[in-house]
Amino acid sequence: MTAVAARPGRASADSGTDPDGRAITWLAFRQVRRGGLIVVGLLAGMSATVAASYASTVGDALDAAALAALAENPAIRTLFGAPVALDDPGGFTVWRTGTVLGVLAGVWGLLAATRITRGEEDAGRWDLLAAGRVPLRAIVRRHAVVVVGMLLAAGFVASAALAAVGTAPAGALLHGAGLALVGIFFAAAGVLTGQLLPSRGRATGAAVALLGTGLLLRMVGDGVAALGWLRWLSPFGLVALSQPYAANRVLPVAVLLVAAVALLGAALLVAGRRDVRGGLFGVPAGRPPRLRLLGSVPGFALRRLVGPLGGWALGLVGYYLLIGLLAVSMTSFLAENPRFASLAAQAGFGGLGSVEGYVAALFTLLAIPVGIFAATRIAVVAGDEADRRLTLLYAQPVTRVRLLTAEVAVTAGGGALLCLAAGAATWAGTTIVDAPLGPGAALAGGLNVLPVVLLCLGAAVFALGWLPRTVAPVGALPAAGGFLLQVTADSTGAPAWVGRLSPFAHVAPVPDLPPHWFASLTMVIVAVGLTIFGALGYQRRDLRG
Amino acid sequence: MDVSAIRAVGLTKHYGSVCALDALDFAVRTGEVFGFLGPNGAGKSTTIRLLLGLARPTAGQAWIFGTDAADVGTAHRSVAYVPADVALWPGLTGAETLELLGRIGPGVDRAYRDELVERFALDLSKPGRAYSTGNRQKVALVAAFATRAPLLILDEPTSGLDPLMEREFQAVVSQARQRGQTVFLSSHQLAEVEAVCDRVGILRAGRLVEVARVPELRRLHRSQVEVTYRGPAPTLTGVAGIETVEELDPERLRFTLTGPPGPALRALAAADVTGVRIHEPTLEEIFLDYYTRVSR
Repeated sequence: MTAVAARPGRASADSGTDPDGRAITWLAFRQVRRGGLIVVGLLAGMSATVAASYASTVGDALDAAALAALAENPAIRTLFGAPVALDDPGGFTVWRTGTVLGVLAGVWGLLAATRITRGEEDAGRWDLLAAGRVPLRAIVRRHAVVVVGMLLAAGFVASAALAAVGTAPAGALLHGAGLALVGIFFAAAGVLTGQLLPSRGRATGAAVALLGTGLLLRMVGDGVAALGWLRWLSPFGLVALSQPYAANRVLPVAVLLVAAVALLGAALLVAGRRDVRGGLFGVPAGRPPRLRLLGSVPGFALRRLVGPLGGWALGLVGYYLLIGLLAVSMTSFLAENPRFASLAAQAGFGGLGSVEGYVAALFTLLAIPVGIFAATRIAVVAGDEADRRLTLLYAQPVTRVRLLTAEVAVTAGGGALLCLAAGAATWAGTTIVDAPLGPGAALAGGLNVLPVVLLCLGAAVFALGWLPRTVAPVGALPAAGGFLLQVTADSTGAPAWVGRLSPFAHVAPVPDLPPHWFASLTMVIVAVGLTIFGALGYQRRDLRG
Repeated sequence: MDVSAIRAVGLTKHYGSVCALDALDFAVRTGEVFGFLGPNGAGKSTTIRLLLGLARPTAGQAWIFGTDAADVGTAHRSVAYVPADVALWPGLTGAETLELLGRIGPGVDRAYRDELVERFALDLSKPGRAYSTGNRQKVALVAAFATRAPLLILDEPTSGLDPLMEREFQAVVSQARQRGQTVFLSSHQLAEVEAVCDRVGILRAGRLVEVARVPELRRLHRSQVEVTYRGPAPTLTGVAGIETVEELDPERLRFTLTGPPGPALRALAAADVTGVRIHEPTLEEIFLDYYTRVSR
């Protein structure tokens, strides 16, 4: 006997090179590789495309001075961040795509992290993993490392792509690192909330709330000069402060790195101190029954909607209240600088000169969160089916069309409520600062994006019927994909028809201009068609689970 | 007129190139307790999913009390179902789940439901995510039996129950039969099936190979008997129920015994037997025995 192959007494699973641990890393990788590749592709592709076409879009078509003046508009600053180095292809790309791609990386990071950690644990699959030789903390660590690795790869490829199309290497590196770190920060937050809270929905909700707060802090910090320091408290703000292609500051990015590492460390610390399937904060073992809204299928759909709807409403009301509050700083700015208003109008951003134009531009963005809300609600139905929770309901005299109709109705109603809440919050904000915006105009602006939301709902129902594994991405496609398409098409000078594919090309800036009734009606008809076609598929196919 | 609780004609289900069910024909009479046996993967759960309209048959059709099984709005007014692996809403407590299923379902006998909760010793205040496998199954059992639906479809309902609860389950099934309810019980627990079922259907690789009354099922049982003796070997040829006699050692032999043991014992009494060991076959052995016999 010359060597001992294994130590039976003590597992060496945490050492990082053993086959058990590698199998877990591979398992985690398999669960995120598809989404991760899409993130890599979007970060690198959008950045490189916008930078490469800079000469043709900005260099020729737009006067750089006009663009710079426009960029001083607080509305634009709030939307896209403070522009620096717009005279540089890289700087322009950072300003035009940085926030969008940062949000994309952050949302994917936190969703992937909570899905493969808390989601898998909720489903009971981690019982098997944790029964093996690898301790829980190492399981969590390996899953976190895989998501972090994916985001690092995305940032690195984005840097390489930006450098390849000829932007300054230092700026490219800093921007790629910033994007990756924003994603990693929120992935780490997702891992941490997944350790603290014993359900995937709550863990995701808490991490999304953190992302929303970070975005709000960045917006306030960018929009209101006196509150610029708030950006140091937000991952998005820190990335903005690093000013790639201009000052190229490393300190803010280093702060973000430290914060992300601290969150990961905290997550691993908690992972070692809790039970499998439990969180650090437990759930009560029992409670008296609450029997409201349990008497019918639509009632039950409503009951399950109320909690998530409240969370979405809270986030959107906070965001649009801020939009309203910022309106006055923008109008006073434009009043003092009439030249900027005319320059903005020349550049085709005419509406932004007025309160109506400013809120209209921001109401258009409302389609994205509310569209994603609609897609996630139908994705929850698909998840309930896959996890067999619908089996007991469908064993009752409940047809699939009846259940689906109830879900679609409450989701559409919830979407409309969110639009109205955003409109009302904006009106409240503008009223507080005495900006001229009527309540009717504000509510109309909110409701104006409802057709895009219904498109998302229709796409999600279509996916539920025919591609039930892809409900969330297909449902989010009209809003999130449409927005990315519009930003890319706008910034790269793509043929006009490419941009027209996006639903956003057909959304009028209400209340600045009247709604496009024909386009809205067309979108609603397409949405209804998708819903009916999806319902047919749902009725005909076998239930999963 | 069709009075069968369940009737299936040519019921077939393919998943891609895999044939899960191959032209199933059977009927369950109103008021009987029908056991549905088969090893894992034989197609028991697939059959139930087709009967409940959760999956669509590739060919053939099933009827529940004469209503097309696909018309779930009508058919399910007379059906209660307990799945093999019960998934509850994680945020709803047991009481809330029972309320939901009771009010959406075909109506519920609340007094009987409270009695069942008592008998199954079920704590209704816990949220769904906190229940163990057995307790989730109990919630589904209480919900199903409390409906008094004329047809109960139970898919391995006792796989997570302890022996005490298993006994309670058998008592509840007997009471359901006394009330005239029809029970379709899928199981691979032969003892349970023997205790409560009037007839059984045996499924093998997607085909129904036998539908028999329970006494007939006993012929599937083969005990192994090992005998040690002194002197000449007992004469066992031609004795009823004895098959495959093997001589293990000098003065030790083994045979399989099917049916009543009387003739075999009388044959053994003629010899100088020093020891007898009867090994009752496990469920698995019976199934293996049965399935290998059928496939020959």
